[in-house]
Amino acid sequence: MKVVIDRNACAGHARCHELAPELFVLDDDGYIATDGFSVTAEAEELALRSARACPEQAIAIVSDDSNI
Amino acid sequence: MSSATEDTLTIPEHVPRELVCEFDIWAEISAAGVCAHQRAARFHDELPPIFYVPKLGYLPGAWVPQKAEDLRRILRDTQTFSSQNTMPFAAMLGEHWKLIPLELDPPEHTKYRALINGLLSPNKVTAIEGAIRQHAGDLIDAFAANKRCNFNQEFADQFPTLIFLRLMGWPETEAPRFVKWTHTLVKSQDMEEVVGAVVQIKNYLMQKIHDSRANPVDDFTGYLLNSEVDGQSLTDDELLGYCFLVFIGGLDTVASSLGFHFMHLALHPEHQADLRANPDKIPIAVEELLRAYSIVNMRRIVTCDVEIRGVQMKAGDIVLISTELGNTDPEVFEDPCEVNFDRGDGNAPHMAFSFGAHRCVGSHLARRELRIALELWLQKVPIFRLAEDCNPVMRAAGVFGMDELIFEWD
Repeated sequence: MKVVIDRNACAGHARCHELAPELFVLDDDGYIATDGFSVTAEAEELALRSARACPEQAIAIVSDDSNI
Repeated sequence: MSSATEDTLTIPEHVPRELVCEFDIWAEISAAGVCAHQRAARFHDELPPIFYVPKLGYLPGAWVPQKAEDLRRILRDTQTFSSQNTMPFAAMLGEHWKLIPLELDPPEHTKYRALINGLLSPNKVTAIEGAIRQHAGDLIDAFAANKRCNFNQEFADQFPTLIFLRLMGWPETEAPRFVKWTHTLVKSQDMEEVVGAVVQIKNYLMQKIHDSRANPVDDFTGYLLNSEVDGQSLTDDELLGYCFLVFIGGLDTVASSLGFHFMHLALHPEHQADLRANPDKIPIAVEELLRAYSIVNMRRIVTCDVEIRGVQMKAGDIVLISTELGNTDPEVFEDPCEVNFDRGDGNAPHMAFSFGAHRCVGSHLARRELRIALELWLQKVPIFRLAEDCNPVMRAAGVFGMDELIFEWD
């Protein structure tokens, strides 16, 4: 599973970071500092919750076998 | 007081009669007292998804979109829905400075906002958590043994003011006059009094800016004085705009939120018991209370004709962004009036701090203050309730507030 982040849509709510600080790293201004990453099986549930918690809907979850 | 009179309540021709709400929504919400938010939530059943009010308190008529989806779209489309000239303070004095970055639109907004994001990031808030805890604890310790407190006077007004003064690098002894100014600005219905407070706040802030320029110090104004946008130092009007914004943004909003959150707990001992037994739920409880008791109502001005959900808005129209309506949208939140700490932190996000570019820059500080206030109250004060002689007064306006909250405990 992969997390893909639309950094332009990030408004700095930092809800993702609140739920999963190791996955969603912030820059010095408190905005998301990554375009995305692969997620281990153990962290999938946490990543999904974090994506749902984003008020800007800036976090997408893409499955590994997806070719989109 | 420039209250709208009958003859000024002209409804623009392009507004269909069936979309006009005949009653004063803020008066209706205020009249509901401690059930104010439940009253507002019923607008979703009673009124169209986008309706028009001929006036809002002493403010002119506006469109009121209720659906979270529409509000999100409007807040994101900053070209069509502008934030410029949406706040009344400079105009009250016949002046033209803006609240910065609140009354700017992207791309200008982005440059000015970038200057202050880093000052209020989650990490910066964590760095002062000890001080926040100390202030909250000291305030509670002062009345805990009394078995009774006037919540606004003894806690909610003081707590964010003390944190604000610390962040600004200004002495704590200024707290009483800051509280007084904030009260006048937010609560007074006497326009002369409000203008008087705006003048005093402005003069105070300008004096601080001049002092800081004469004797450079490492505080908020000192930081702004050393900052540049597009290679230019900030003008006095810009410095004032920033300082005035953090003043009105940081004081009354947290105080008002505290009032609603603690009123809810006073009326719901079972929720107090839940959080006392499970303090790790407090952060999620704060999110749910922020959702269920949202207080901020902003405005946007339509810059070009636009259609939303089949409703035609014209350039110059005003749109109300009511966070308490967006956050009780039944399409997004099941049983929206129900305060449920088990909705979960990965469920539908609320818009208490708005969406998009203008997301509340102080949101991380506000959340931390609210969380710490709850933690320490529940540690230091036993089950509390509304005092029998207490008659809370609900005040619906740009920022909702609850006055006359008196709590008692055994």
